[in-house]
Amino acid sequence: MLNLLWLAPALPLTSAVLLAIFGSRWPRKLVSLAGVGSIGLAAVASMLVAWSFLTAPPPGNAFVLPLWTWMAAGSFRPEFGLYLDPVSLLMLLVVTFVGFLIHLYSTEYMRGDEGYARFFAYMNLFVASMLLLVLGSNLLVLYMGWEGVGLCSYLLIGFWYRDAANVRAANKAFLVTRIGDTAFAIGLFLLFTQLGTLDIQQLMQRAQSQWPAGSTLAIAAAALLLGGAVGKSAQLPLQTWLPDAMAGPTPTSALIHAATMVTAGVYLIARTHVLFTLAPEVQLVVAVIGAATLLMAACSALVQRDIKRVLAYSTISQIGYMFLALGLGAWSAAMFHFMTHAFFKALLFLAAGAVIQSLHHEQDMFRMGGLRRELPVAFWSFVIGGSALAGLPLLTAGFFSKDLILWQSWAGLNGSIWFWLCGMLGALLTSLYTYRLVFLVFYGTAKSHVSERPGLAIKLPLAVLCVLSIFAGYLDTPPHFGGVPRLSNFLNSTLPALEEVHVGPVITEVTTALTASLVFLAGFSLAYLLYYRRRVEQPAESALARFWAAGWGFDTLYSWIFVRPFVWLAEVNRRDIVDSLYTALASLTQASNGLLQRTETGHVRWYASGLAIGSAVFLGLVWWMR
Amino acid sequence: MTASDLVALSPLILLSATALVVMLSIAIRRHHGASATLALLGLAASFASLRWAASVTPRQVTGLLLIDGYTLFYWGVLLALAAAVVLLAYSYLEHQTGHQEEFYCLMLLATAGGLVLVASSHMASLFLGFEILSVSLYALIAYLHLQRLPLEAGVKYLVLAATSSAFLLFGMALLYSETGSMQLATLARFYMGAPNAALGAAGWAGTVLMLTGIGFKLAVVPFHLWTPDVYQGAPLPTTALVATISKGSVFALLLRWFHPAGSLAGTPVWWAFVIMAAASMLAGNLLALRQNNVKRLLAYSSIAHMGYLMVAFVAAGPLAVQAATYYLLAYVITILGAFGIMSVLCSGEEECCELEDYRGLFWQRPVLAAMFSAMLLSLAGIPLTAGFLGKFYVMAAGASSALWLLLFVLVASSTIGLYYYLRVLVVLFSSLPEDHVKVMLPRGRVPAGAGFSLAVLVILLFVFGLYPAPLWDLIRGISAGIG
Amino acid sequence: MQLWPFVVYCALVGGLIAAMLGLSYVLGQRHQDRATGAPYESGIVSEGSARVRFSAKFYLVAVFFVIFDLEAVFVYAWAVAVREAGWPGYIELITFVLILGATLAYLWRVGALDWRSVPQGRKAR
Repeated sequence: MLNLLWLAPALPLTSAVLLAIFGSRWPRKLVSLAGVGSIGLAAVASMLVAWSFLTAPPPGNAFVLPLWTWMAAGSFRPEFGLYLDPVSLLMLLVVTFVGFLIHLYSTEYMRGDEGYARFFAYMNLFVASMLLLVLGSNLLVLYMGWEGVGLCSYLLIGFWYRDAANVRAANKAFLVTRIGDTAFAIGLFLLFTQLGTLDIQQLMQRAQSQWPAGSTLAIAAAALLLGGAVGKSAQLPLQTWLPDAMAGPTPTSALIHAATMVTAGVYLIARTHVLFTLAPEVQLVVAVIGAATLLMAACSALVQRDIKRVLAYSTISQIGYMFLALGLGAWSAAMFHFMTHAFFKALLFLAAGAVIQSLHHEQDMFRMGGLRRELPVAFWSFVIGGSALAGLPLLTAGFFSKDLILWQSWAGLNGSIWFWLCGMLGALLTSLYTYRLVFLVFYGTAKSHVSERPGLAIKLPLAVLCVLSIFAGYLDTPPHFGGVPRLSNFLNSTLPALEEVHVGPVITEVTTALTASLVFLAGFSLAYLLYYRRRVEQPAESALARFWAAGWGFDTLYSWIFVRPFVWLAEVNRRDIVDSLYTALASLTQASNGLLQRTETGHVRWYASGLAIGSAVFLGLVWWMR
Repeated sequence: MTASDLVALSPLILLSATALVVMLSIAIRRHHGASATLALLGLAASFASLRWAASVTPRQVTGLLLIDGYTLFYWGVLLALAAAVVLLAYSYLEHQTGHQEEFYCLMLLATAGGLVLVASSHMASLFLGFEILSVSLYALIAYLHLQRLPLEAGVKYLVLAATSSAFLLFGMALLYSETGSMQLATLARFYMGAPNAALGAAGWAGTVLMLTGIGFKLAVVPFHLWTPDVYQGAPLPTTALVATISKGSVFALLLRWFHPAGSLAGTPVWWAFVIMAAASMLAGNLLALRQNNVKRLLAYSSIAHMGYLMVAFVAAGPLAVQAATYYLLAYVITILGAFGIMSVLCSGEEECCELEDYRGLFWQRPVLAAMFSAMLLSLAGIPLTAGFLGKFYVMAAGASSALWLLLFVLVASSTIGLYYYLRVLVVLFSSLPEDHVKVMLPRGRVPAGAGFSLAVLVILLFVFGLYPAPLWDLIRGISAGIG
Repeated sequence: MQLWPFVVYCALVGGLIAAMLGLSYVLGQRHQDRATGAPYESGIVSEGSARVRFSAKFYLVAVFFVIFDLEAVFVYAWAVAVREAGWPGYIELITFVLILGATLAYLWRVGALDWRSVPQGRKAR
């Protein structure tokens, strides 16, 4: 049964290729069938794989499906294989299952679009690449998937390419993540030259045996990989692309820019956690980046007008939590939060999509309002998803996963009171901006007319994701709630178990949970007071708000530091000094071409003398060298 | 001559007999399809008998032929190539006036010459194979003798090949006078500097003269001048034959003879090879740069490709033979595909080989154009194609022998090469001109046989580029015998 | 290997040629009359151009003659060693002759032996 694993990436890939070639000629129904069906079958295959993995765990709790060796030359033998262990299994399930729901949703959301087949081709290609990323046994395969999802992200952000702004957003996303990718690639080169392999498991073993903890090489490798992760997961300082990426169709935002792709960085770090353990300094940096990002993005989310941008900043902030967990050494907590986040953030995006579609592509929250009765499904989705995001105690999945991270931020390996406080402050802000959104959109007076109501293909995924957003949390409940950390235990065969280094005096697991609940309540009440009772009709206009709304001015900063000097340099070098060298080379080759062409006279006598002359030259050479 | 000897020779015997049968069938009744079918059947029988022959190898058959795994591998390759050429030639010749049937007879003979060359372990068989191949090629090149260009090309090839044969023979005589042996293996010992086997001036001179003859067949600089004219003049199936069977068999011979060439390193002849390799890569690519006739362009590119092959050839160690064999295989598949597509496109008596004829081909014949692009990309050595891996292995072989200068030339000239391959690609995909008069293969389908062989070639191109392991293991196995 | 006999030989050849050309140049008489450049045809004035086009058929026949005559040489070679070659040699020779026979049959059928201007095959089409 485990051998079915290859189907998971193969099915979407096949469908993507077919859709790319024939899609424009196929009828809509067939396109939907291929696009959604392939992901559905992939999800079924993954569930079968998961079933047999859970009932009869393979030896070592890991399974390798070798596919083929590409080119063998000396020690460079890139072997393509799929690697399944608890971590990749979790990713596999989430990607295929959430992917399937979002594909199903898209059949209705995208139904009037002229690029219907193109959309599904891209989306299927994305799922295939993502699965390659997740399942690759070799960093090279992982990198292939990594670039593949980057490409799909680019294509989908710029999906409506007739609008120049979308194309700019796509370019921005591509270029910014490219910085991270380049760091990642350099990291790969470093690992391969130093350790002689790119197979992840071998790599980890060799790193552990050859590099002492804190060695320069380990730090360099971990830092370079972190660079890649930061780019892909939109963390400081490469976070600027994600809010703009909302230019893509909403299902894309849900799948790529919320649930799966942006968490690839989290996955990468978890996958190569051995390296990070060997480089404690870098691991601390991960935690700091996570903490800073989660606060910064939460502040920005607080002052946005665009419903999707709120969710985008919230995504950045939540991934900040995951990075914080990774930095603390709470690997499985990060993966747990990844899973719950995938569910509730996909739910929120899809619900936002339903709202946007009902209002003629209106995205400004201040022009919405009172949609509670008009769009009950979207409303309840937002309530459930938002509560999970804000961490409504005991009822929602988000509470448990966030609580684990908060507890670890004190108790974990790198835990400290500062991280704990950051996490709590972030939770407060999360709760505040979430209910701000809910109150602005669904309460108050209606300002827009609802043109159409979502159909079954939209309602069904929303309902399923609602259920998951509530119940997925019970997979891993802390002991004092009478629960069992099933997920953590499951992941422990791959990832190190959670440690509790600091306990007490004041901060214990129970007080953390209580504080988190209080913080949630505080955020909710504040939002209730500000946006329900006082009914703020205009976004805040203070300088600070503007600063936050613009994402802390990073775009301006980068524009001043990088873009303008570069443009200036390009203008100075308009004639291109470097290029003249190449022009000279080109003319040299052209000249030698002209010269050589004279030897092709077409005369047999000259050809024959060519034979004789060549022979004579070599005879002379032999004579001279002998 | 024992029965086992005959078994070992069975592919060769069957092939020669097929040539005879095709000739007799023409004498009885002329029929294009029948001749082609007979040729195909004969090739298939010969191919099938390879298995049979393998049961008694390795075996030295008389003093002339050595049949071992290496021989049988190359025989298989040559026979498969010949079969593909038959399929392509059938659809091509259908459009030509004049007799078509003799083509197959001559082609089978040329293949038989190639087989002899690959198996030869003696100067006599070497020369015999050389001449069987050459004489058949004279006629094949000038096959459409009522047209100007083929006739001109045929006469040119006749004069020059005869000249090169004279060089070869004189070289043999000199070598024999010096060493007293005509066995290639014995001669190889002289090159490797076995004790009491130092080669004198006449011996080295003889070697150089023989290399002139061989270099002519391979079309490496400075013996390359004939290539564009002959490629351009010859009918497309013949051009494919010259590019694949003729060059392939001669290179296989050279590889066996001088292996391990690495032990030649530093000798004058080794330097001659190095110069040939570097000069071929540079001159071939530079000459092709601004060429507007696709056949001539591919001719120049073939000079460069022989140069790449030479890089693997002068490298040392087991990797060298494997890399060279892999590269050769990738190259013949690709170039056969390219010429095959051209021959399918060029229906009618007039061959359309000017670059302009291909403008916007993609919009008329998307599948063929895509195939042609795949071939061009493989020639340029773009990843995922067989050509890339071939080049990769060649570079690996060169790097393992620290031939940095040659590798630098290889990289630089490949970059130049990219230019003209892309130029063709751009033309293929550019939009149709307004006053587009000449329409290639305006309607109708690709003939089944030619289509089949093209499809197989394209599939092989990608299979060998993506999943080379089985082939690579096979090559390792057969080259172990001569390493 | 001693090169000097070869060098002497070459020198002698060169010397002989030089002597023949040089002596005739020095000793021979020169005059430039009307018929000096004309070819000598035993005293008869030549008629027409020497550049007559022969029919390609002549060459064809000549080539056939060369081919088949040359192959006879192999039969002689076999005849000399007939006892040493034994039965295998006999079989090989028979094969050889049969191939020649097949070739002859082919040539006969395609009309190469006919003295006609149009080959049979072309007319048939």
